[in-house]
Amino acid sequence: MSLVNFTTREITCKIVYYGPGRSGKTTNLQYVYDQVPTERRGRMVSLATQSDRTLFFDFLPLELGTISGFTTRFQLYTVPGQVYYNATRKLVLQGADGVVFVADSQARQLDENLASLRNLQANLLEQRVDVRALPLVIQYNKQGLPPELVLPVEELDDAMNFRGVPSFPADALAGNGVFETLRSVSELVLRRLSEEPQK
Amino acid sequence: MTRTYSIEPWVEEPLAAFVAEAGARLALLMTPAGQVIAQHGFTRAVDVMAAAALGAAIVASTGEVAKLLDEPAFSVLNHQGERHGILLGGFDTPQGRMVCLVVYGKESTPGLVQLFFEEFSRDVREACPEPEAPKQVLASDFERELNDSLSALFRT
Amino acid sequence: MSKRFQGILDTITRIRGVRGAMIVVYQDGLVVSDSLMEGVRGNAVAALTSSLAKHVANATSASGAGVLQFLHLQAISGALLAVTAGAEMLVVAIADPSVNVGLVRLELIRAAEALT
Repeated sequence: MSLVNFTTREITCKIVYYGPGRSGKTTNLQYVYDQVPTERRGRMVSLATQSDRTLFFDFLPLELGTISGFTTRFQLYTVPGQVYYNATRKLVLQGADGVVFVADSQARQLDENLASLRNLQANLLEQRVDVRALPLVIQYNKQGLPPELVLPVEELDDAMNFRGVPSFPADALAGNGVFETLRSVSELVLRRLSEEPQK
Repeated sequence: MTRTYSIEPWVEEPLAAFVAEAGARLALLMTPAGQVIAQHGFTRAVDVMAAAALGAAIVASTGEVAKLLDEPAFSVLNHQGERHGILLGGFDTPQGRMVCLVVYGKESTPGLVQLFFEEFSRDVREACPEPEAPKQVLASDFERELNDSLSALFRT
Repeated sequence: MSKRFQGILDTITRIRGVRGAMIVVYQDGLVVSDSLMEGVRGNAVAALTSSLAKHVANATSASGAGVLQFLHLQAISGALLAVTAGAEMLVVAIADPSVNVGLVRLELIRAAEALT
């Protein structure tokens, strides 16, 4: 749940980038890190293996600015994508206010995407999170690869986006779609704070 | 003077007392998900967030190890370096579980920090009010401000 | 190992008026082994005694008295005694106010020698 401080008027939200191994979650954070002015971001923390695969998580704190009089901060996390790191994935997912599912657009990766999406749902259910209520956006990454290797967005939407959540084509290495994805999930997360709570 | 800063005002007094008694340099109180509730000694908010994320991760992963061993969660973890040591501990409150990261130097000891941490957790538990019902936080037209903030952030 | 420590502590707790004895890591203030009467807060005594011993050691060193060997605190309802065992450990005794301090000191020194 977003942490709101009414005394100092601050909001802190946790956003988790989820998805299969090598889909580009860390690349998304790296791009954000490179683009954002130093005074608005913290150090990017990466707990990675020797071969630079995410072992536990990557973490990037961001100062978004002032919204409705609240200093708003976001904590961006990635999870390790590889199947056997599910225990650490669950830990990182704990307390997430929003999730970005980073899918690999390559046709041969479709099964991995679907398995990871199912894994996300299973882990959320285990944490008793209402999957339908949690802000979620999907990013179809690697759209910059040759067209014969990747599936078009419509096809990916048909296969993965059965909730009809906002989805974005992206090429995170070049930065395309990274900003749009973050903007969308930020909006969904903050919208929850602008609504009257359910009695 | 180093400032004690808290999101929840009722934490401020117990945290300041704990830091003084234990001779700690930095202290962070957070949720198990790494959201900061109070802090002492850090200067930049973003550094606080990184320390909180890492501290919460250590507690979460050792908690899982405890589960594998059929143990209740470890109450305190201690790591000692050459110049600094850190203590990580968790405790339950009326507002759920809280995790504390304490950094101490040569002027204190793990035993002393652990001793006063026990008192601190008891003080926080006693001072902690019952959780309040959620309420509307942001104005309904927050999107424009969000977009402006994000545009400034990404210099678009 | 713990049996050995218990044996060392038993020689101290056997003295009339001693409420408990502990072996404490000097630098950390953590308990290595203890033998305490019920109601004695071992962890607290260990942490505070190690902290106190470090401060007192600074004072003895600054005053030219050299390395701290023996510490005796007398209070209204009891006494706290500690002997350093090398640079690594402290042997601590908690006792009644009327305890035979000389005897406790002797056994603490013997215990410290057995540890080093």
